[in-house]
Amino acid sequence: MYCNQPPKKPGDKKEVLQKITNMARANSLWVTAYGTGCGSIELRPLGTSRFDMERFGIAMRPTPRQADVLIISGYLATKTLKRVIRVYEQIQDPKYIMALGSCTINGGMYFDSYNTLNVLDKYLPVDVYVMGCMPRPEAIIDGFSLLMKKIKEGRAVGWKHYRENLDYYRENQKQIIKNWDLPDYNW
Amino acid sequence: MSILLTVVTALVWGLLLGGISRNVTAKIHGRVGPRVTQNFIDLWKLFRKTSSIHHGGMFWMAPLFRITGAIAVLLMVPVVVGHNINYNMSFAGDIFLLLYIMFFGCLGMALGAGNSGHPYSVVAISRGLAQMSSYELSFSIAVVAVAVGLHTLRIEGIVAAQQAGVSSWNIFRFPFASAGALIAFLPMQMAYPFSIVLAPQEIPIGPPTEYSSRFLSFMFSGRALFSVAKLLLFVNLFFGGASSWMALFVKTFLLYMYAIVVSSVFPRFRTEQSIKFLWLVPTTLALVDLVRVML
Amino acid sequence: MIDKVKKELEIRFPLLKLVREQHNYLHIKVDKAAAADAVLTAKTSLGFTTLQLISAVDRIENGAFQLTWILENYDEQEILLISAYFPRKNCVVPSLSQIWPAASAFERELFEMFGISFPGNPREGEDFLLEGWKDMPPMRRDFETEEYARRTFGERQPREHTDPRQYIGDVVGEWNTPMGRNREEEK
Repeated sequence: MYCNQPPKKPGDKKEVLQKITNMARANSLWVTAYGTGCGSIELRPLGTSRFDMERFGIAMRPTPRQADVLIISGYLATKTLKRVIRVYEQIQDPKYIMALGSCTINGGMYFDSYNTLNVLDKYLPVDVYVMGCMPRPEAIIDGFSLLMKKIKEGRAVGWKHYRENLDYYRENQKQIIKNWDLPDYNW
Repeated sequence: MSILLTVVTALVWGLLLGGISRNVTAKIHGRVGPRVTQNFIDLWKLFRKTSSIHHGGMFWMAPLFRITGAIAVLLMVPVVVGHNINYNMSFAGDIFLLLYIMFFGCLGMALGAGNSGHPYSVVAISRGLAQMSSYELSFSIAVVAVAVGLHTLRIEGIVAAQQAGVSSWNIFRFPFASAGALIAFLPMQMAYPFSIVLAPQEIPIGPPTEYSSRFLSFMFSGRALFSVAKLLLFVNLFFGGASSWMALFVKTFLLYMYAIVVSSVFPRFRTEQSIKFLWLVPTTLALVDLVRVML
Repeated sequence: MIDKVKKELEIRFPLLKLVREQHNYLHIKVDKAAAADAVLTAKTSLGFTTLQLISAVDRIENGAFQLTWILENYDEQEILLISAYFPRKNCVVPSLSQIWPAASAFERELFEMFGISFPGNPREGEDFLLEGWKDMPPMRRDFETEEYARRTFGERQPREHTDPRQYIGDVVGEWNTPMGRNREEEK
């Protein structure tokens, strides 16, 4: 028995599948429970009855292996950056980064600190910024809804960007982390 | 075909029960709570995530062990009395095999998670095995009491003996053994006073710390299946079995709610407190009925 | 009670200067050669058994580091501060890590932040907060923080104005508070 027709393009089917998957990803964001700065205080009320992030399917996971979102909550010291890179690379694809506060955008009030990096985007690909110092839980929920929108539209591709431009990110990271001893493996 | 139907129904029902339980817990906390279908969404998302974690063969096998154990238990328990789904796998003395095979999934999980090398996994497994040996005892004594009292070693025989109305249910005929088994049901479901394996405050999620994406989705479905299998077993052993699908869903739902409600109002025992309690209270309760039956 | 401590210390260290005294608080300044001796005396014979902090202040005008050992007597609820000035160049201070194990951490921190050496501390030179720091110790006052931050973390894009009014307008919350109105009247 021979097939006399050209194989069907799997495009349409795959697209539908991708859409369903994107919906699932957007509605089940698991956050690494890892606070880097003062903003992690504003993350705690999200789990309480007043803000209740569970109704969006957002949950805290204590291990990066099971998480999707890494929240950089506020200023990031170079010492912490090393750990954050480690955590980020342990998260399985697809993964997203949400950055809180003006410190991660341009340094904020720590712009002249000897140990706090200014522009986070140089070191890790940020999908969503939430401005404020610190952003209130409402603002963080707003940031989450923006992230969901981006994922549904398939525009949250920071992790792909990180893979493709690994050299650029590594160079920047090595520039400020003085005793670089991370393994050169990734994912 | 009937096997497939059983497994799929159990999986869907287990995931739905999980979603309902998350909602109930949220309502008790005064929150809105997630969607009821949240567990399906989580499962699909996890299934579609990539994974690049390697910890050796046992690590890969553990979720499969868990699913296999759950399906084995599920197939040995009569689902609906009188329905042909009833005859999945049933033979004289199956209750003893069941008592063994119930812990197959947990042991496979212990081997796999131990292979992952994460300290939290290892701590959780040592706690879990210690606790398992204590609640297994009271549950086994309760089951033996029921089996001796009804002079049968088939689960079907036990179910058949309870078909003469509500008063013939084993929970009324063997109240002490049932109470012991129902207390042992809580640690089996990792419900709160005995939740020392998952222990969110100390060893954040216990054994599955290193598991990600597809492994975790298998593990989740295994857990849903296993919890439905346990619910079915308890319904069959103590609550007169289920004569229709409706009765099945209502009975398993109520039994599940019992674990959820207890779980959301109690704090957690320490390991030694939990083991001491399980060795003393449910075991004594079950023994009372065993002695009564023997005499 | 603190009078008794003061008298005792004055008998043993006649050269001490009194900085400040309250009913349960005493701050004294001793000669640098007598500093370790004074701290030891306070611990062994005056009951100040808890070391709360070792702090350093960069007195660049005097060419000295002011080191202060903050001790507490928990039974009497008394606090004793013993200060001493050490020369700023190649600063060497006796280590107390053999007496209080907790002192080791403070001393490592001071070594990193000020470059003060504590010979006798077995863990001296180990990384504490600044992993792999190669520059001048950052808490010294002749360290140019802003210049260093610009050099290390690169240029950032701050706002062009610092007046929030340009961004949030005239009639937004904070500026209608009594404090905001007062400030306007002053102008």
